[in-house]
Amino acid sequence: MNFVVSSDDLLKHLQLIAGVVPSRHVLPIVENFLFEIGKNRLTLTATDLEITMKTTLEVETRGAEMRLAVPAKLVLEILRNLPAIPITITVDEDNFGIEITSENGKYKLNGENGAEFPQVPEADNTTSVKMPANILVKAIQKTLFAASTDEHKPAMNGMLFSFTNAGVTFVATDAHRLVRYRRVDITVKEAVNFVVPQKALNLLKNSLNGMEDILTIEYNENNAFFSVGNTLLLCRLISDKYPDYENVIPTNNPNKLIIPKKELASTLRRVNIFSNKTTHQVRFKIAGSDLEISTEDIDYANEARENLKCIFDGEDMEIGFNAAFLLEVVNNVETESLVMELSTPNRASIVLPEEQNEGENMLMLVMPVMLSSYSG
Amino acid sequence: MPGDIQTKRHILHLDLDAFFVSVERLLHPELNGLPVIIGGESLSNRGVVSACSYEARKYGVHSAMPIAMARKLCPEGTFVRGTYDAYGKYSGIVTEIVSERSPLFEKASVDEFYVDLTGMDRFYGTLKWSEELKKCIVKETGLPVSFGLSINKTVSKIATDYCKPNGQIRVPGEEVLPFLGALTVDKIPGVGKQTQKELNELGIQQVRQLQQIPPDLLTRAFGKWGHTLWQKAQGIDDAPVVAYREEKSISREQTLQEDTTDPAFLNVLLTRMADELAYELRSTGRLSAHISIKIRYSDFETHTKGQQVNPTANEQEMSVVARKLLKAVFTRRVRVRLIGLKLSNLCPGYIQTDLFQDTGPGLELRAATDRIRNRYGKHVIGWAAGFIPED
Repeated sequence: MNFVVSSDDLLKHLQLIAGVVPSRHVLPIVENFLFEIGKNRLTLTATDLEITMKTTLEVETRGAEMRLAVPAKLVLEILRNLPAIPITITVDEDNFGIEITSENGKYKLNGENGAEFPQVPEADNTTSVKMPANILVKAIQKTLFAASTDEHKPAMNGMLFSFTNAGVTFVATDAHRLVRYRRVDITVKEAVNFVVPQKALNLLKNSLNGMEDILTIEYNENNAFFSVGNTLLLCRLISDKYPDYENVIPTNNPNKLIIPKKELASTLRRVNIFSNKTTHQVRFKIAGSDLEISTEDIDYANEARENLKCIFDGEDMEIGFNAAFLLEVVNNVETESLVMELSTPNRASIVLPEEQNEGENMLMLVMPVMLSSYSG
Repeated sequence: MPGDIQTKRHILHLDLDAFFVSVERLLHPELNGLPVIIGGESLSNRGVVSACSYEARKYGVHSAMPIAMARKLCPEGTFVRGTYDAYGKYSGIVTEIVSERSPLFEKASVDEFYVDLTGMDRFYGTLKWSEELKKCIVKETGLPVSFGLSINKTVSKIATDYCKPNGQIRVPGEEVLPFLGALTVDKIPGVGKQTQKELNELGIQQVRQLQQIPPDLLTRAFGKWGHTLWQKAQGIDDAPVVAYREEKSISREQTLQEDTTDPAFLNVLLTRMADELAYELRSTGRLSAHISIKIRYSDFETHTKGQQVNPTANEQEMSVVARKLLKAVFTRRVRVRLIGLKLSNLCPGYIQTDLFQDTGPGLELRAATDRIRNRYGKHVIGWAAGFIPED
């Protein structure tokens, strides 16, 4: 059988799902794309057994329908190096040999029987929610950086989706900082929580970026299915229980600091150059309307100190932070100024935008370093 | 010929004058000119003097003397609680200056350095080089420093002590014997009150007299130390300058009184080691980013296994990792005779708090147990999970 397709159209669709393909896997068949050739339709699938992505495009087919596994690396490479031209792909139904023919070229490679490609779970017993794709993209951009990469904290390796009738909430934390991004403009009748792995979200972010279409999220106990148009991502959910984050967000924070975001970020960047390269620890000394940010690296006798004007309502205090953690949080703020709500030097500091965007509610939290752990 | 080599070496000994006091005076200029006495954590009469100014030394005060006695000897003295963080910091700055300029140096203590300048004399006067280093330290830190420049570590150190405070001296090879000879025997490093008394009883006051005694006689009187003493009096010392290296790991090991196969018991030992080592890290303001354990079976087969972690000084995090490593490494059904825990990749820093573990009293508890240890010793308190009833 054969089919005709434009090389750049095929490449574009394959690139959409190529991120899933593992470079080495115990099950070598998953290093292939699955081509399901139907009547004038080509469905492409990639999987690493945890995550599967699927997309469909229209092609001109001739001959019987079939399933074929195509070596991912090889096919991507040839398509990337072809100009945008129509190509014909001919498959030998007996031995799965593949021949790609262009106007003045011919490329042969070996495929495999598509029947050996792992089965993709079906979406059964699912509940669904719809939202514009760009809202999920923003939620991922704003939240995922705070997720943990520590394999001993499996739940924190993912991002929590928490749906209620008050809104949808996305949470990521590594126990040192936390982001809670809430959309109050989307509500769900049946409350549910599930945790989606980081890799799946990064793939979603890349493939949905710039899309304004409506995204459907379907979920059951084990899997989540994200679909836009004819592209689908499904992933196994993280089964470990997500930590009870709401209870650790301090509510009584009598000290409130308001400071221009850009200045704080550039000061932190400069001071951080002189901090210890492993720990990035800096000291905030707040006295009246003066914020002094300083650091020292005893090993190299490096030191830095800067003073910033701020609006501060509360008791003078000293508190330590990991500047790298804090910078990521500060950079995440979209307003001109940000608000830091502090209680004591050993409790979480809350970072908020000066004003919330419409439909959004964003809260971030950074845990301090104990500057005086020794002398107490 | 060994004798040949030693007169050709150029060894500089640098010593910061009354280092702790000098740092205190930098931070608190009002202390200038006063007899300053620095104590430990508490200035109670039970503490000891950790340093004192030259003014206080005139009253007979010296380090390691009980505070109570210092108060008696020098009632008008200014007693200061030591700010040890600051001393560490200034020591680091001086170390940095020395390391930037020196070909090979050894940090002998917090305020003492040896630099091997052998070979540099061909290009540059070693005395001039040393003077410039001294000037640079004074200029960049404001701390007074003295140096002695001679043919080996012993003579250079004696020379530094001779010209302190804020002095400098060069003792070239041919002047070593007369220079040492003019000193009293107590100026030789290692000669304390006891040795001095014994030498005095033999009628020896001056190093010159010591130089003239045959070495055998000293060996007969003092044993092995007698020979060393004779060498020092002659200005002989072949000890090399050992390059300075920051301590990059700390560890504990324990050989069991009785070999065991009980993982629960080994876990208890690991917990206790983690508890002690984490306290040691916290008390020096450091964190560790690598944890490893070691076990030795009764047939002496030894296994180690380690893991990178986020920089920490939290004993609970460490014992979780240590226990996990033990589980991975303790696979043979053979008794274990030794177990050890090592923390490496050390860096300066404080504990990063954890959102889910450090809420509640955990942090205060650690601060409180640290205070108890500071005061009563590190073994008086610890986690029950590291407690062994036989102790």
